[in-house]
Amino acid sequence: MLDPYGPAAEAVAWTWWAMFGFSAVVLVGVVALWLIGMRRSPAAIPEEKAAIYNRRWIVWGGIVLPCVSIVLLLSFGIPQGKRMLPLPVEGEQPLKVEVIGHQWWWEVRYPESGVVTANQMNLPAGRPLDIHVTSADVIHSFWIPRLGGKIDMIPGRTNVIRLEADRPATHRGQCSEFCGMQHTHMILYSEVQTAEDFADWIRARQQWQAPEPDATTRDLFQRECAACHQVSSLKGSPVQTTDETLLIGPDLGDVASRSHLGAGVLRNEAGAIRRWLSEHQRLKPENRMPSLDHLEDRELDVLADWLETLTP
Amino acid sequence: MRPAHPLQLIAGLAVWSLWFIAIYGGLSVACQIAPPEAEAGALNRLNLMLGLLTLATLAFLLWNARRCWQAINQGDSEEARRQRFLATLGAGLHLVGAIATLFVGIPILVMPPCL
Amino acid sequence: MTDITANPQSDQAEQDRLHQDLDEIWGNPRGWRALSIVNHTTIGVRFLVTGLFFFVIGLLLAMLIRTQLAIPGNTFLGPDEYNQVFTMHGTVMMFLFAVPILEGLAIYLLPKMLGARDMLFPRLSALGYWSYLFGGLILLSSLLLDVAPNAGWFMYTPLSDRVYSPGLNSDFWLIGITFVEISAISAGVEIVVSILRARAPGMGLHQMPVFAWYMLVVAMMILIGFPPMILASLMLEISRAADLPFFDVARGGDPILWQHLFWLFGHPEVYIIFLPAAGIVSTILPVFCGRPLVGYRWVVLGVLTTGFISFGLWVHHMFTIGIPQLAQLFFSAASMLVAVPTGIQVFSWIATLWLGKPRFELPMLWLVGFIVIFVAGGLTGVMLSLVPFDWQVHDTYFVVAHFHYVLVGGMFFPLMAGIYYWLPHFSGRMPSMTLGRWGFWLTFIGFNLTFLIMHWTGLMGMPRRVYTYESGLGWDLPNLISSIGGFIMAFGVATFLLDLFLHFRFGEKAGENPWKADTLEWATQLPPTAYNFVSLPDVTTRHPLWDQPHLPKAIANGEYGLSVSGHGRRETWGVDPVTGRIRHIIHLPGNSMWPFVLSALLAVVCICLLVSAYTLAGLGTMAALVVCLRWSWENGAHPKAAPDAHTKPDEPPLHSRTFDGPGLWGMGTTLISNGSLYLSLLFGWFYLWSVSPNWQIPAQNPLNHGFMLAALLPALATTVWLRRVVRQLKQKNISRLGLHLWSITVLGLLHTLLLVMLIFEAPLKPTETTHDAVLLVMLGYSLLHAVVGVLAAGLQALRVHWGYVGISAPYEPKIVLQWWVYTTTVFVITYTATVLFPLTWKPY
Repeated sequence: MLDPYGPAAEAVAWTWWAMFGFSAVVLVGVVALWLIGMRRSPAAIPEEKAAIYNRRWIVWGGIVLPCVSIVLLLSFGIPQGKRMLPLPVEGEQPLKVEVIGHQWWWEVRYPESGVVTANQMNLPAGRPLDIHVTSADVIHSFWIPRLGGKIDMIPGRTNVIRLEADRPATHRGQCSEFCGMQHTHMILYSEVQTAEDFADWIRARQQWQAPEPDATTRDLFQRECAACHQVSSLKGSPVQTTDETLLIGPDLGDVASRSHLGAGVLRNEAGAIRRWLSEHQRLKPENRMPSLDHLEDRELDVLADWLETLTP
Repeated sequence: MRPAHPLQLIAGLAVWSLWFIAIYGGLSVACQIAPPEAEAGALNRLNLMLGLLTLATLAFLLWNARRCWQAINQGDSEEARRQRFLATLGAGLHLVGAIATLFVGIPILVMPPCL
Repeated sequence: MTDITANPQSDQAEQDRLHQDLDEIWGNPRGWRALSIVNHTTIGVRFLVTGLFFFVIGLLLAMLIRTQLAIPGNTFLGPDEYNQVFTMHGTVMMFLFAVPILEGLAIYLLPKMLGARDMLFPRLSALGYWSYLFGGLILLSSLLLDVAPNAGWFMYTPLSDRVYSPGLNSDFWLIGITFVEISAISAGVEIVVSILRARAPGMGLHQMPVFAWYMLVVAMMILIGFPPMILASLMLEISRAADLPFFDVARGGDPILWQHLFWLFGHPEVYIIFLPAAGIVSTILPVFCGRPLVGYRWVVLGVLTTGFISFGLWVHHMFTIGIPQLAQLFFSAASMLVAVPTGIQVFSWIATLWLGKPRFELPMLWLVGFIVIFVAGGLTGVMLSLVPFDWQVHDTYFVVAHFHYVLVGGMFFPLMAGIYYWLPHFSGRMPSMTLGRWGFWLTFIGFNLTFLIMHWTGLMGMPRRVYTYESGLGWDLPNLISSIGGFIMAFGVATFLLDLFLHFRFGEKAGENPWKADTLEWATQLPPTAYNFVSLPDVTTRHPLWDQPHLPKAIANGEYGLSVSGHGRRETWGVDPVTGRIRHIIHLPGNSMWPFVLSALLAVVCICLLVSAYTLAGLGTMAALVVCLRWSWENGAHPKAAPDAHTKPDEPPLHSRTFDGPGLWGMGTTLISNGSLYLSLLFGWFYLWSVSPNWQIPAQNPLNHGFMLAALLPALATTVWLRRVVRQLKQKNISRLGLHLWSITVLGLLHTLLLVMLIFEAPLKPTETTHDAVLLVMLGYSLLHAVVGVLAAGLQALRVHWGYVGISAPYEPKIVLQWWVYTTTVFVITYTATVLFPLTWKPY
């Protein structure tokens, strides 16, 4: 958050440093007054004089100081908050991204282009973003620290947050509302790209047709995976999940191209998918995916091999 | 209620609380039923209503603070001292209520209501 | 005053005789009969010791957390274990340590400070204590069974509901905490009533020790702040057990309703914890400065203001849920505003220091720690009230650091100062500086090491409640430092406990008023007797022991009021709440097993509910009800309550012979609390109507308009009739009182039966829509009140026959009247809100 990559985050970072400086002065001042007071041993003061003295302390220190501070703070804070509202903008319209929280992964949809993915979020730099968030089960919270504030994902409601990224970079985001057993491993990597790269990325996914699995793989997938996962890039997907909230597991359409598996648990290097299939309950204990221990190594290899090809 | 009534110690901020509930509740309900256009910004009927309510509350609190303050008994008996305690505190708490109303009400001037 | 040293020997003999007489009436029994003790000194100490025990448990849980997070990727605890541990750490510290221990301190101190002999409802104190102990133990047992709550101490729905937390974990939390809250509410009631009605004669509101002002406000906050959460817990438990969908979006509920109700309690809770501690500071700082607190009136103003404004902050825990920003700003502004009354207090303390001649003793050391840590926490609090900043750091370690600064700084440090300050009271010995200094510095350094760096961890993006984190995010070093600091702090606390142990064995004997304090609790013996004072002095100043240094001796000599004890009654003065003038003698109930038995039965009921043994739970509830009635039977003119009702000719009457006893005030304050619960329910009803995303209403209102009116009439009649009876009783102009009361009982019964029929007739489908579920709860609430009202009225009629109630002991029917006025009002409001109000826009 102190390393901001967007205007919203940057404004907050500045606010922080200003508030920090001010608070440090107040803290040191109050403590110094206290300590000096403890070491002093003044001569007795007549009561009337003491009363005036007291009122001065309390009125200036106890009332004027905090009042002035909070009026200042509020006058800085209001305009800043106003900028984060999804107010209508002129010129280029914000990009709408839908993010849906699940226990414990992220579903990401780009309604303008129809692209669906999971646990990764690619964004164009320099264009306002309207992130529409909701949840399929419990309350989660969407947060990319270096881009700006967070917003809760609540079942039955859709919240919107306006963000903007300045320049290309990869950012780590993490669920920040406690959502159960694997709240810890609900990480979202977001890749900010230049506008052109982002357009390419979207286009690649729109146009791409995943390779057909052979019959064995297809049967295996149907039996072991399809109850929860779909592969959107495979036209005529094995799973015809129509209701989006019924998706139990992430869409696997471009799984092999993602930087991490299991919502940030495992870096997607060579062999990672195979490893996930056999060890996922150890890597991310109690996650909702049943263990595949009943499958033979050969079967896991077949599945992994095909999943490895799912990259546009 | 007479100015040195012990319940004056509660009255000022109780009025503040009622006002607070009224503006928060009123805002929430109004935004559900008939939200004003986002383009209108802070100048719309809803903010106007909230603002008027705020001013009315403020006026009442200030009036009562003044009433308590004027009733302060300057005598030196035990009775007068107790009366002074209650009346001063009552006035102070009404004043605090007024300041709180004013301060919490400021955003009504600048923010659009339902976003 | 007479010359008190005239004849030391006969004085001593006289004192001993007075002491023996009083001790016979007030003394504590030993052995298993100790379970029946109701005396506030003993109950207060029990609260304190139990609170410290739970604190140690909470601290051990914190050590588990810090061990797990010390290094990245640690596997010391698994996710489930970690979730249980952090949930229990928060729960234990908030509900089983912070609130009860401060209640205990207040119960111990208040009567002594105010110059009374006991709290006004001693048996209620005992009930509160046992409920706290049993509830806490039930909750703690879940840890041993490995089914501890694991949905966070805030228990957000839907994570905590039956779908996403199917195990017993959440049930332990809901049932255990609700049980513990009995102690909070009962402490709230009796603290309010005792402060207002049981003071030294002549002590007006403006002369109360400032601690009493703090506790008065805190107790009122408890009464109003806890019910929303109790209601929410009950609703969640009902929805878990019986599938009523209060928080289920699909059926018209709303998980955000839980958050509103929880934080409506949760934020005032912070001040409920902080204010008593600030009261400790305001009490002991002037003593060590040797001059009165600067700005007594300012401080009272600040405390009252904090009490109110703290109820207008709850949404600042919910800034990220997506409510309109204008509404957020109201709460943001109110959150900043609360800094002002706190600022007033801080500067009145500083002014006291500057104007006085501070003595440097152990408690002062803890106060220095307090001011450093608390002010830092307060400042980060103001930062957090700024909405855009909160959006960034909400639910990160920044917030963890902030509230530990506020709570540990604002509550634990003053509490430690207070414990050292009042140690001579508990032990009759003086604390020593040597180990005490070590304890302080280890705690202080450990604390800051742990939590200062945590702000940074949070700013770097580490969210709360994660059981581990990967390396390479820059979180490794700060977490390791926090863990090391945590263990240093634990050593500090261990040193304190060792110091405490050694103190009770080897501490130097304390003399009279060892700190040269100004308040009356130092006029008792050290350690105090069960009755506090041999005689109850008039007090007309804020600083009785400074203005009248001879008071302790004069009190012990029996020179003041109520030193006679031949009548066998426990007595204290009942005074006017504002002026402190004497109104009557309050005779207090003595030791009794009923509070213990009732709590034990309630514990059985809770355990039965946990294991879904509903029949047994029902039987247990019936048994508990019978015990309640039996308990209330020994009251008023009952021979066990008042063996001898005669007072001396120059003394006022016993409270049970007047119309203004503490029971009336007790019922009044209880009903305020009860009203807060009902208003929360009403809030839920209107909230769901207006903002629940999937609100569903049936085709027509399931409540029959005519039926509702028919049920209302007998309730109104009951109340009006009872009111007439009470008025005639007051004029001592009533015949056939028993018959009147029986008729009233029958009328009340009619109301009850109509309510039962109404509930069964209405086509409610409470498991299908939230609309019907809330209606059912509202009707059930009215039914429960009607049943209790009928029982109470019937009991009065019986008591008239037994001669315990009548023209000479007239005051109980008025209490029943309060209940019926409340019950009827609630039913009228329910009728308006559910039947009349919807007619205005015809949604059905």
